[in-house]
Amino acid sequence: MTADPSQSAVEPIMTVRGLSKWFDDFQALDDISLDVNRSEVLCLIGPSGSGKSTLLRCLNFLERYQAGEVRKEGRLIGWQEGSASPRKPLRPAALREQRRHIGMVFQQFNLWPHFTARQNVAEALIQVQRLGRDEAYSRAEAALDKVNLGDKANNYPSGLSGGQQQRVAIARAIAMEPDIMLFDEPTSALDPELVGEVLAVMKQMAAEGMTMVVVTHEMGFAAHVADRVGFLESGRLVTCRPPADIFGSEPSDPRLRSFLQTYRERNVV
Amino acid sequence: MKYDLFLRYGPALLRGFGVSLLCWIVGSLGGALLGFVIACLYRWSAWPVRWILQAYIEVIRGTPFMIQLFVLYYGGPYAGLVLSPIQSGIVSFVVYGSPYFAEIFRSGFEAIPKGQLEAARAIGIGEFAILRRIMLPQMMVLITAPLTNFVIILSKETAILSVVTVPELLYETQTMAAETFTFVEPFLALSLFYWLLVVVTAELGRRVETYAMRHLRRSASAT
Repeated sequence: MTADPSQSAVEPIMTVRGLSKWFDDFQALDDISLDVNRSEVLCLIGPSGSGKSTLLRCLNFLERYQAGEVRKEGRLIGWQEGSASPRKPLRPAALREQRRHIGMVFQQFNLWPHFTARQNVAEALIQVQRLGRDEAYSRAEAALDKVNLGDKANNYPSGLSGGQQQRVAIARAIAMEPDIMLFDEPTSALDPELVGEVLAVMKQMAAEGMTMVVVTHEMGFAAHVADRVGFLESGRLVTCRPPADIFGSEPSDPRLRSFLQTYRERNVV
Repeated sequence: MKYDLFLRYGPALLRGFGVSLLCWIVGSLGGALLGFVIACLYRWSAWPVRWILQAYIEVIRGTPFMIQLFVLYYGGPYAGLVLSPIQSGIVSFVVYGSPYFAEIFRSGFEAIPKGQLEAARAIGIGEFAILRRIMLPQMMVLITAPLTNFVIILSKETAILSVVTVPELLYETQTMAAETFTFVEPFLALSLFYWLLVVVTAELGRRVETYAMRHLRRSASAT
């Protein structure tokens, strides 16, 4: 495998070029360029505040950015193609059309508490894909089965554990049959004993060929499931290489070395 | 106590009660609707619209209902707006109530966690569906109590409509008092009518609240 994705034979599904974002004076992302290949699991790691969540949120335009571009299968995400600076964002309907093919899972699950698990998963099928209720419900149940929650379809989120809620959130995203899934620290809000069940579902998705971008602090997951691992620091993508290069030998980059050191001390990797 | 007075003035009092009810119900519904539109516009508009709405809210909330009623009823004709007493009563009720309703709805909008809305947007659900399917059902739990409260306050504000000769309950009561030189009987009847209104409204509010909270109750029992 080669370190430079542009030389890879694999067609990237998503390309990020020169992405920079400022929150007022603070530069959160600094000239990020990155390819996400089809059926690849790309993990983003880095210290808090390094910009990995912000980068992820730029991929589906939950965050607007000042410079650079994100393209999925060649189409510019979020902005009107060819619009002069300042760029014009897409019309809401066009943006929604792009987003329905990009699944997202959040740190805080963000389920809708007044809906059952089945309703949570079916809602977008009904509102976005315009399916009838019965078909939406049966597809929702199939998605819940995939995350091993077929028996919890009638539970409200408050009647589910954190791990179960996060799996419902994953089912909600995969029911839409997205081309790519974005995970924003999906296990960070979970009790340690519940992390495994969520990671297991994610591993299974990876094995089935889902394209996944995962912001995570789970170095074990990054080391064993990721095809490539990107390390961010102070808004810059320091390196993006296969996990063996990141975790195997002693990394040459001092920032990556000191970041991984904190995990090694805790015997995580 | 002259009980025969109730029989003699009963029909007039009932008619007055009917007029009060009409102004109150139509005024409350209209005010709530206008308030909802204001709250939505405020939430989904750019600053010029927000600025105008904020000014409207400040002006209407900052002036007494009776003054607004006078301006509309006596001042309206100068601007070519001639309304009957009942019409001006209803219109001024709608206007008077709208900023309070708008603020109640706004507080409800803001109570929905941002993450829930983000999850909906990220999956491609439109803003109107988000409002209808995700925000409103959850807001109901929070805003039913303040809505009921304000509607009850409005029910008693209907008495002010008598100053522009709307033949509502207080107006009829005063007529009864003036014609019979009694005070206890007419105002006892008046109190009973308002009390009835408040009790029924409060009970309706409780039922709506229970209905809105059904998912919380069910999920609590499911654990």
